Amino acid sequence: MASNPWLWFAVVAEVTTVSACLTPVPAAGQVAKASLKPTAPRRLADGHPDLEGTYDLATLTPLERPRGAKAVLTPEEAAALEKAAAGRRDKANEAISGDRSAPPKGGDGSSGPAGGVGGYNYFWLDPGSRYNVVGGEIRSSIVVDPPDGRVPPYQSAARERLASLRARPTSDAQESRDPGLEPPGSYDDPERRPLGERCLLGFGSTSGPPALPDYFYNNLHQIVQTPEAIMILTEMVHDARIVRIGDEHLPKTIRRWMGDSVGHWEGDTLVVDTTNFNDQTRFRGSTKNLHVVERFSRVDDKTLLYRFTIEDPDTWDRPWTGEYTWPATDQPIYEYACHEANYALGDILRGARTREAEPAARTGK
Amino acid sequence: MRALRNSQATIPHTIKTVAVALLLGVAVIPAGAQAQAYRAPRVAGGKPDLNGIWQALNEANYDIETHEARPALALRPGPYGAVPAAPLLALGAVGAVPPGLGVVEGGVLPYKPEALAKKKQNQENWLTSDPEIKCYLPGVPRATYMPYPFQILESASAITFVYEYAGAVRNVFLKDPGPAPVDSWMGQSVGHWEGETLVVDVKGFNDQSWFDRAGNFHSEALHVIERYTRASPDVISYEATIEDPQVFSHSWKMTMPLYRRQEKNAQLLDFKCVEFVEELLYGQWRKKPLSRQ
Amino acid sequence: MRTKLLAFTTAGVVLFVAGVVPALAHHAFGGEFDPDRPLLLKGKVVKVEWVNPHAWIHLEVLKPDGTKEEWMVEGGSPNSLLRHGVTRDSLPVGTEIVVDGYQARDHSLLRANGRNITYPDGRKLLLGSSAPAAENDRDPVNPKK
Repeated sequence: MASNPWLWFAVVAEVTTVSACLTPVPAAGQVAKASLKPTAPRRLADGHPDLEGTYDLATLTPLERPRGAKAVLTPEEAAALEKAAAGRRDKANEAISGDRSAPPKGGDGSSGPAGGVGGYNYFWLDPGSRYNVVGGEIRSSIVVDPPDGRVPPYQSAARERLASLRARPTSDAQESRDPGLEPPGSYDDPERRPLGERCLLGFGSTSGPPALPDYFYNNLHQIVQTPEAIMILTEMVHDARIVRIGDEHLPKTIRRWMGDSVGHWEGDTLVVDTTNFNDQTRFRGSTKNLHVVERFSRVDDKTLLYRFTIEDPDTWDRPWTGEYTWPATDQPIYEYACHEANYALGDILRGARTREAEPAARTGK
Repeated sequence: MRALRNSQATIPHTIKTVAVALLLGVAVIPAGAQAQAYRAPRVAGGKPDLNGIWQALNEANYDIETHEARPALALRPGPYGAVPAAPLLALGAVGAVPPGLGVVEGGVLPYKPEALAKKKQNQENWLTSDPEIKCYLPGVPRATYMPYPFQILESASAITFVYEYAGAVRNVFLKDPGPAPVDSWMGQSVGHWEGETLVVDVKGFNDQSWFDRAGNFHSEALHVIERYTRASPDVISYEATIEDPQVFSHSWKMTMPLYRRQEKNAQLLDFKCVEFVEELLYGQWRKKPLSRQ
Repeated sequence: MRTKLLAFTTAGVVLFVAGVVPALAHHAFGGEFDPDRPLLLKGKVVKVEWVNPHAWIHLEVLKPDGTKEEWMVEGGSPNSLLRHGVTRDSLPVGTEIVVDGYQARDHSLLRANGRNITYPDGRKLLLGSSAPAAENDRDPVNPKK
């Protein structure tokens, strides 16, 4: 594999579904080991479990299970894949020639996120190195319901809505592709760019809800817990979601970027209910009627279990659920001031206007 | 709801304190450097409880120094004194600057001569230079007295400030992590308790934020020491000492009360403001730019 | 049985690599930079902006005619690097670096993506003092405390 990690991403991006000669093996036979011996969670003075800490959500486990894959990996399978991932990382960090020439004109062959210009080096990234473990099982996806580990299909009305020219990118929008491949008008205005590019929310629904790993970097989240309010701070883009305990939702006339979160305890589980999304966040193409229920519980001294259920009757015919564990880290969250130095957004728009003014220079696509 | 809960918590605690004091034959002496009779309820872990939604109520964000009212934040000479700069004319009285007694002890900032010239230049170029206009992070202490509420979340092991303005956030380290690896807008905050007072030591700033809309500014050498003390159930007494040897000839102090928002449903709402300035910052590069007049 | 296991293992590598791509939501490199404007820049660092969403490394390039040009090279977010021990002193002004990449689509801008940023000997920049695996080190099945 070339030293440039973007070529790896490109190869992978071309692989949509890979059919594999797999016999689905019942989950029971795949449980790696007996679950960890349950330990009593540490508690705060009010008697509730202490959920506080800084957590690193980075993981190799994707949101959706690749088609045909098993729900649970064996330790050997996970180890092999993790070793391969570590190998790609080490290869990407290798020295290259100091005497090299400029990359090829016309692009270096990378596609998808790298857009033919190769992106940047792996040393900036922190994409996670391990598969996620829940209840002793090494998971192949975050989605656990539907049982195939994939987000349910869109309703037809939702498909039409998303296909329309007016549709703007969602909070977890796939990165833009080469200008020739995007829907027309994608570069006409800043409002047509993904929310992450505009520095309004972090990429990949990192703040959520639901809070998902960002498979690139900056996966740290911090929880500060008081009896009346619990804050979930996401490093990118310094988004603090404050969950009001025992309170009611805002009136329907107030809509928020991350919705409005209220919480209550069910035994040792914090249940967070979020509604009142605005119509721009549109997680995975959903509407402002999105309803997310999250459940936080402590697994052991260093781990939280995070489980979420997504409902939007205007987008999916059925709710769907995901879960993954959040391991604690002793690393701090650093400031992620985004808008203040967002040269890129301006450059992207200027670039589009340049392309339009110089049609002869445009690469044929 | 929250205000009630706090005052209910105070009463039994005070009774216990007095009872113990009487038993020991000791007079009940309030803690704190100033004559603070108020002893705040505690969070688990025993520190004063700063939790809540707070907001400053003064004109500091317009101008932290003592000042009379002014026609606008950007001025030009008129036949009988300054008038608003042309771009602000349409705002009328809404664009005027209210008078302020100032929050700076001594009323006037101790600028070094060359820094005072820079402050005047900032003020003259307010429209293009004030970071607030572009919805940039406000820095410290300006975040404290922006005219928007902020929330303090305090547990036994963590303290975080969340500001409605621009969604600014500050985590207060309770154990010093050492020097900040790089500069930031909100600095690196390290906190410790001195009796009833939370002392927050902030360093590691970039030089980009201002103290107000009057062009008062700092360098990367800025060092802020804040003191938060509950003065009563619904007031925090706030003090910030500012040191910046590149800009000021000596350190100076600002003080102000911070008031607890009393509404039953008080909470922070979204004022990211980034989306509100996209037309300003990027509108010229739309495919079909709007008129800039 | 054995054949099937092998089939999974081989295909599985690709399967799970495919699964990792997901919402790599990031901005449009192809929109920001021009594949028809490749370049190689060699010069001294004059300034580093340790900012988000992208760090920018400014370098002074000596042109053949003897004049100097200051280029800005775009990198990733600095935050992960900070967690690996990188600070503002890790890339001092005056350091020689070599950058290959592509110029911004708006050709009036002396900006490029840092497709590869290395020292003159070809070593990648900013690998930090610790090994990259400073991230979560738990054995999934036998977690250590």
